[in-house]
Amino acid sequence: GTKNSSSGCALHWATWQTLPSTRSGTPNGQPESSRHTSARANSDHPPPPPPPAVACATRSHPIQIRKPPFIAPYLLKHPLPHGTPEEATFLSSSLFLCGGVYLLVGGGGDMLGSRAVPHCPLALRAALPSTSGSPNLAAIGQRGRRLLSNVFLKPCSPSRAAAAGRRRSSGWKPRMASYSAAVRASSAPKLENADALIDSVETFIFDCDGVIWKGDSLIDGVPETLDMLRSRGKRLVFVTNNSTKSRKQYGKKFETLGLSVTEEEIFASSFAAAAYLKSIDFPKDKKVYVVGEDGILKELELAGFQYLGGPADGEKKIELKPGFLMEHDEDVGAVVVGFDRYFNYYKIQYATLCIRENPGCLFIATNRDAVTHLTDAQEWAGGGSMVGAIWGSTKQEPLVVGKPSTFMMDYLANKFGILKSQICMVGDRLDTDILFGQNGGCKTLLVLSGVTTLDVLQSPNNSIQPDFYTNQISDMLSLKAAAV
Amino acid sequence: MEAARLGAAGAAGLHKAFCPKAARELVGNVDAFLFDCDGGSSDLVWSGVIWKGEKLIEGVTKALQALRSMGKKVGFVTNNSTKSRKQYVEKFRGLGISVHEDEIYPSSFGAAMYLKVNNFPQDKKVYAIGGDGILEEMSFAGYTCLGVTKDANKKMELKRGFKFEHDKSVGAVVVGLDPYINYYKIQYATMCIRENPGCLFIATDRDAVGPLTDVQEWPGTGSMVGAICGSTQKEPIIVGKPATFMMEFLLKRFNMSTSRMCMVGDSFPDVLFGQNSGCKTILVLSGV
Repeated sequence: GTKNSSSGCALHWATWQTLPSTRSGTPNGQPESSRHTSARANSDHPPPPPPPAVACATRSHPIQIRKPPFIAPYLLKHPLPHGTPEEATFLSSSLFLCGGVYLLVGGGGDMLGSRAVPHCPLALRAALPSTSGSPNLAAIGQRGRRLLSNVFLKPCSPSRAAAAGRRRSSGWKPRMASYSAAVRASSAPKLENADALIDSVETFIFDCDGVIWKGDSLIDGVPETLDMLRSRGKRLVFVTNNSTKSRKQYGKKFETLGLSVTEEEIFASSFAAAAYLKSIDFPKDKKVYVVGEDGILKELELAGFQYLGGPADGEKKIELKPGFLMEHDEDVGAVVVGFDRYFNYYKIQYATLCIRENPGCLFIATNRDAVTHLTDAQEWAGGGSMVGAIWGSTKQEPLVVGKPSTFMMDYLANKFGILKSQICMVGDRLDTDILFGQNGGCKTLLVLSGVTTLDVLQSPNNSIQPDFYTNQISDMLSLKAAAV
Repeated sequence: MEAARLGAAGAAGLHKAFCPKAARELVGNVDAFLFDCDGGSSDLVWSGVIWKGEKLIEGVTKALQALRSMGKKVGFVTNNSTKSRKQYVEKFRGLGISVHEDEIYPSSFGAAMYLKVNNFPQDKKVYAIGGDGILEEMSFAGYTCLGVTKDANKKMELKRGFKFEHDKSVGAVVVGLDPYINYYKIQYATMCIRENPGCLFIATDRDAVGPLTDVQEWPGTGSMVGAICGSTQKEPIIVGKPATFMMEFLLKRFNMSTSRMCMVGDSFPDVLFGQNSGCKTILVLSGV
């Protein structure tokens, strides 16, 4: 088999890859600069030895997928400006070999990636700054196909085709999400046979806002539904993009609402940020600058990382006078941005300085949700706005660790040793929850108890279709199998 | 015509050495000169076309006098929306140049003119993220403007049942440079754009950073705009450089074609702005 890449790859594959610990023979800590070097080297020198492979592991079969060697000549012909979103997008996209055709699968902030695998001839993410919204797959597919035929499309050698065939037969089931959904005329069906769904999966992943609670109010029927699922032996996991609380703090919230959920079952994006840094062996002598709330700070502390910033910087003021210089810590190796109701210009500048001036500084986003439910009464501007501000001043794309990026899904699957096809993702948002489930290759159930209405689901502008929809999760209690 | 030597623009141009002959030729063919003023905010350093630090660049006053005496129109363009035209006149005066209000074109004015040119109804309001410059220009144009510095210290209590109210008659959100940006303003702008039907989303510019102090670069309007794009998933209408709205407005004002205009700047984006519109361009090397 082929050797695995350095964890330098992990920097770009947060949205796509399993943790280094799942691979055998873990190489460690290649510095961020190596990524830049390899990109630049391509434009200065003849094609280097085959670029690193990427592992996309299932439970039983680690799969090696190699980036084809002509990526180097492509870069020679079209050198990408270093440090730009274009370069980040290109470097973070995956070139897959499948059925004799090279497929370029998009990366960057949006999660179009796995949608292209493998049937779709192409889902090329145009190298534009991401403004996460529902992707228009049909258009991207066409544009991608045109570009592909001009640049990439090369039949692979017979030996590669054979290898691809072997991979398919060895149990690697490509996670084909709903590219076909984009062209599917009909919308998702209403959930009728809850029992069948429940029996077909082993784990339920629930989003929290709009599914379990709304603001601080529990949605009715939730405790009974969770009890029912547990009594049928199902594992329950709770995943939320809300980074304001740590897992411990969420545990308390569940408890206050009368739900018995353990900390280990909760995965907030605050935890995801810390887990991501752990997964890439972020050095303990480097610091993290946080634009966000307490949850992120607590998780970083638990993981043993030093941090600066957080809510305290909400009080800091700046004076734009001649000679005034804002200092920043040169040891900051990562900036983590999440929802922050104490957001201000000081933080924007501090984060911008770290990202622009500290070599190799990472820009990590807990999520890019446009709006969020801070109260049960209405929607509020979400983490997407804080991330958008830092993107606006640095022009760099962040690494997203929360939904719809599959980082948390991969982490869960690895941690619990479960197959993704055995999971049902239940959520109220199409562009985060359902996309998250689809990207991971799970079944998906949309509930209408949150932000998405039936009209939005069935609108012609919507291209994300879950497997089923229902009003709220307690419907699973009342819906019975058809009479046998 | 030694006076036509144009002290400010005296450095070698990109394509032609700016000798007296070329200068005379240019001045003969051009009826209006647009000077870029960018790089600065309220009290601070502006970039190197007109002045550097606190010092006026040599020959600038003479050059401007010469141009005016030849009947040439003069304009000063800036993306900095924190001041209104009136406030900029004061600023120029404080630094030793006398200009007329009609010769200055900040993006605050640009935003107000955009609304006027597009017949924005007088009964609709404007919500602005930015400095008082936008507020003033909107008032002069006859529009009611909410937000700006009044919302700089607003805080919210996020309790159960708390509802964030916003004015339903806001028909346009204008985003400019705002060092007092906070969550309240982001939320207010977001609600207007998402919930008021047909609400416009206008930005003065999308500059990522700018030298707001003389020693360092600071986040520009691009970050405020990025925040609102992030929460609304909409793209704004840009009225400042390098979008051509201001240029089109100036053309109408000056009543001439772009080939009779010359853009003078100290950086390539300025040259681009000029070229995009078909003006002649001069790159000044006295700046960045």
